[in-house]
Amino acid sequence: MKILIIEDEKELVGVIKKFLEPEGFICETAFTYFEAEDSLSSYNYDIIILDLTLPGGNGLDLIKLIKNRNRNAGLLIVSAKNSLDDKIRGLDMGADDYITKPFHLAELNSRIKSLARRRHFDGSNELIFNEIKINTDSNEVFINGTILDLTKKEFEILLYFIVNKNKVITRESIAEHVWGDNISYADNYDFIYSHIKNIRKKIELNNGRNYLHNMYGIGYKFSER
Amino acid sequence: MRLLQKTNRAYLLISGTTFIIAGVVFYFVISFFFRDQLNEKLFHDIKNITKSIRRNGTIPNYYPFIDIREIPAQPERSFKIIDTLIFDSFEGRENLYRQISLIRVINGKEYFIAARDTLIEEDDLLEVIALVTGSIFILLLVSLYFINRKLSLKIWQPFYNTLDQLKEFSHDKPGFKLSSDSQLYEFTELNKTLEKLTQKVISDYQSLKRFTEDASHEIQTPLAVIQSKLETLMQYPGLKKEQAELINSAYTYTLRISKLAQTLLLLTKIAHDQFPEKRAIDLSELLGEKLKMFEDHILEKSLTLNKKIEPECILETNFFLAESLVMNLIGNAVKHNITGGLINVKLDKNHLEISNSGEPLPVSASKLFDRFYKTDKSSDSPGLGLAIVREICRLNKWEINYISEGSLHKVVINF
Repeated sequence: MKILIIEDEKELVGVIKKFLEPEGFICETAFTYFEAEDSLSSYNYDIIILDLTLPGGNGLDLIKLIKNRNRNAGLLIVSAKNSLDDKIRGLDMGADDYITKPFHLAELNSRIKSLARRRHFDGSNELIFNEIKINTDSNEVFINGTILDLTKKEFEILLYFIVNKNKVITRESIAEHVWGDNISYADNYDFIYSHIKNIRKKIELNNGRNYLHNMYGIGYKFSER
Repeated sequence: MRLLQKTNRAYLLISGTTFIIAGVVFYFVISFFFRDQLNEKLFHDIKNITKSIRRNGTIPNYYPFIDIREIPAQPERSFKIIDTLIFDSFEGRENLYRQISLIRVINGKEYFIAARDTLIEEDDLLEVIALVTGSIFILLLVSLYFINRKLSLKIWQPFYNTLDQLKEFSHDKPGFKLSSDSQLYEFTELNKTLEKLTQKVISDYQSLKRFTEDASHEIQTPLAVIQSKLETLMQYPGLKKEQAELINSAYTYTLRISKLAQTLLLLTKIAHDQFPEKRAIDLSELLGEKLKMFEDHILEKSLTLNKKIEPECILETNFFLAESLVMNLIGNAVKHNITGGLINVKLDKNHLEISNSGEPLPVSASKLFDRFYKTDKSSDSPGLGLAIVREICRLNKWEINYISEGSLHKVVINF
């Protein structure tokens, strides 16, 4: 799957590429408005990540071009927090999703994959990790074929883990993913722990293995080990 | 009071007094000249009579206009000018006369000679003057009224046009232009000045807005880089516990700066009224929704939540700000609570009351809404939540108060 990252901060583009490439994405980059224009006119992309604040032009103008040249591409816009206008205008103009800066890489990854799933680029609405199978259309989780009874939040956390499998995910990132921007009004993330505990318990109860590993207070990693 | 009303009143007052003074002066001037004229005539009469007596020796009788009597010799020659009342047998009443009397020696005999003529009576004179000045005054008022009406309709029209256009002015609407069709110097000058002023307001506002947006971008971009680099660093296999803890600490603090910068920018934006879009917001619904978001936190701290929310409390305000207000207040009530404590939320059409149990405030409640005020210096929170709440209240002209009720901290907002 081909992704175009339109972002002027080279350092940020570097880490995004490094995070996404092991996930099987082919990443191309454009650092300026003109580079972006160039790439968009010459190639086709499956997903485009567009930072609205670009040197040389307004990112909103690029949306028009994207809608002309890459009609089928999934478009994720990146805007500064609190810049509500840009967000709303971008979505009105046809962006599929938005993420505010600064963001967690795991969150970006999850958004991109969700975009890909929604557009059925990989032809599947199922995510499989060993004995765990998630149907993202019906929001159901199966372990060895039996359905797992999860709350909405538990489901969202588990999906977030599986989408970001083999990556270290911070507690802050999980909290923001599930509770949204509003999480900044809370001062601790202890409540996440009880959800994680429940997920573990429910998976083990259905003879699943424990893939959730603590990472020294940073967060968790969902992996075989 | 309208300008025209004010000037009309001044005109009325000034012309009223002027007319009264003019009437009085008029009266005195007229009676002076009238008497002066009579005096001349009477002197002339006396001269003629004296001449006639000297020539003919006979004493004419034109009583009461001429009165001549022969009198015994007087030690001195008196000369008098007086106003006197004399019975008029024709009219059957006393009339006022002007009289000049003197004693004169004619052909060796002494005569008392008095010449008289009727004076206009004071009452009559007053009446006439009052009538004349009064009618001129009324005529003036009527014409003033019509002139002013025309003035307000025509001459002042450009002024009212400008006023109407200014009412439509908003600092976040670029391209504001005053149209004026007045030829009057004052109004074109006013419009020119206003146009300059509004352009300045708009450009200042725009540059301020750009500044906050640029600042936001310039701060957030490096933070985003640091944050993502740390997240990448976390991914390295075989991290030691000590290394992980260092990364985690740097990560936590990066997020803290990032949050602080966002909050400060939000405060600045609220202070500069950069959230102009208002619509009807169902606060009851919003409050219920946000309380639900905190249910994990409430559960975690074993808090008891008492809700008394009247349905359909609608407020005309900005959605983002209403959300921010509610989230800050609930967030605080949870954050500063004790384990097993309680939260009371009360909402009706005019008030929002949120109270929570907690440790008593270490210092005065008046500082509670200040920026960077923290009850606990070691807290991760920068202490901007209530400052934001206060700014939002100020912007919406809501009254906010903190009340300490025993062990309960209560924040009340009156809409």
